Amino acid sequence: MATQTPTRPEQDQSVEQKVQQVRKLYSDAPELAKKALENALPGLMSQAAEAQASQSEGAGRIGIRLGTISELTVIAPFAPGGAQRLRAILRLLHGNFSAGTKVGTLHNMRFVFLDNDTKFLFATAYDGQWDPYIEDFATKIPDEMDIIFSAFQGWPGIRSPKVKDWIVEHQIPAEGWFVAYPDLTVAETGRVKRVAKAVEEFLDKVGN
Amino acid sequence: MATQTLTKPQQSQNVEQKIQQFRELFADAPELGKKALENALHELKSQASDLPPPVESAGRVGARLGKVSELTIIVPLAPGGAKRLRAFLRLLGGNLSQGADKVGTLHTMRFVFFDNDTRLLFATAFDGDWDAYIDDFVAKIPDYLDVIDSAWEGWPGIRSPGAKDYLIKHQITAEGWYVAYPDLTVAEIKRLQRIGKAVDEFLDKVGT
Repeated sequence: MATQTPTRPEQDQSVEQKVQQVRKLYSDAPELAKKALENALPGLMSQAAEAQASQSEGAGRIGIRLGTISELTVIAPFAPGGAQRLRAILRLLHGNFSAGTKVGTLHNMRFVFLDNDTKFLFATAYDGQWDPYIEDFATKIPDEMDIIFSAFQGWPGIRSPKVKDWIVEHQIPAEGWFVAYPDLTVAETGRVKRVAKAVEEFLDKVGN
Repeated sequence: MATQTLTKPQQSQNVEQKIQQFRELFADAPELGKKALENALHELKSQASDLPPPVESAGRVGARLGKVSELTIIVPLAPGGAKRLRAFLRLLGGNLSQGADKVGTLHTMRFVFFDNDTRLLFATAFDGDWDAYIDDFVAKIPDYLDVIDSAWEGWPGIRSPGAKDYLIKHQITAEGWYVAYPDLTVAEIKRLQRIGKAVDEFLDKVGT
């Protein structure tokens, strides 16, 4: 539930009060930041007012969402030998984890090795709510999930009833989120892409 | 240059050799990992020989698939930085749209605090080459950047000649990257969206 409340405590405050608070906090920031804040403030005021109307929302159990697109960010320790195994797999695939296409709701996904291969970052942008998204992974690419995630300490297995708890435990909700086209799901993007292609073909025919 | 050599060392090996290496690496993986590997090996084999387009370099640092690149930066936070940045993000309701839309080449962007507010993850998906992308940020939203990045330990200021070096020092190239539509830039997706809308309106009119 943590994610649904990131902005709640301030909602009753006016934008002016919030700006005042931010200014106060920035009073001991480096000089360049103070100056940048003053430069940006006029724009910020109107943004903040709009933000109250269109702020990011919860993605369900954990994570935040803007329009139809949510973020998932997991940081977890590697199991012994896990980093080596995972790197070998990713290199076999030339870094392109194209099985992601089968999930159908995945916009982008990255795998990053941290802290001398002791920790791992997994970050995705996806459509809709957390629970169905995790279930999509479990039903559509269960083996790929286990191959990859068995590199992490304590991974219970994608078919385990405990798998969602493991993910929630290691997921950290973002405090800031941006999506260029928040109303376009992966499926809808595919649809408009086909429509545009058909229109072009149609115009070509009409043209000659 | 690290990313450009991501897959080179293995490229001369054949798929069978790679699969063999894998099996060896997975010999001491957890049981569920080994099982999943055997289940998936068939498919992995076809994938590895079909060669989905390889992940390439986004320029100086970072990975790219088609037209879409990833940037993943992890920085230590300056004293008071977490508090300032959090207040700033909350002022915007966690929604960074107004500033980020101006960059024009940004697909997704997230800010995640971790390790008890001592570190920050900044991760984006963007169009094209690293240098051009950073230049866009500098040209289009310098003040926002300095308000945000001044929370980072040692940040020299976006107008400083040391800014790019700082970013490169803290950026970690992803070892795995997936994008649903690698051939679509932000501008192209928005164009398709407009076409889709126009066609819908047209069909509505024709239908009545």
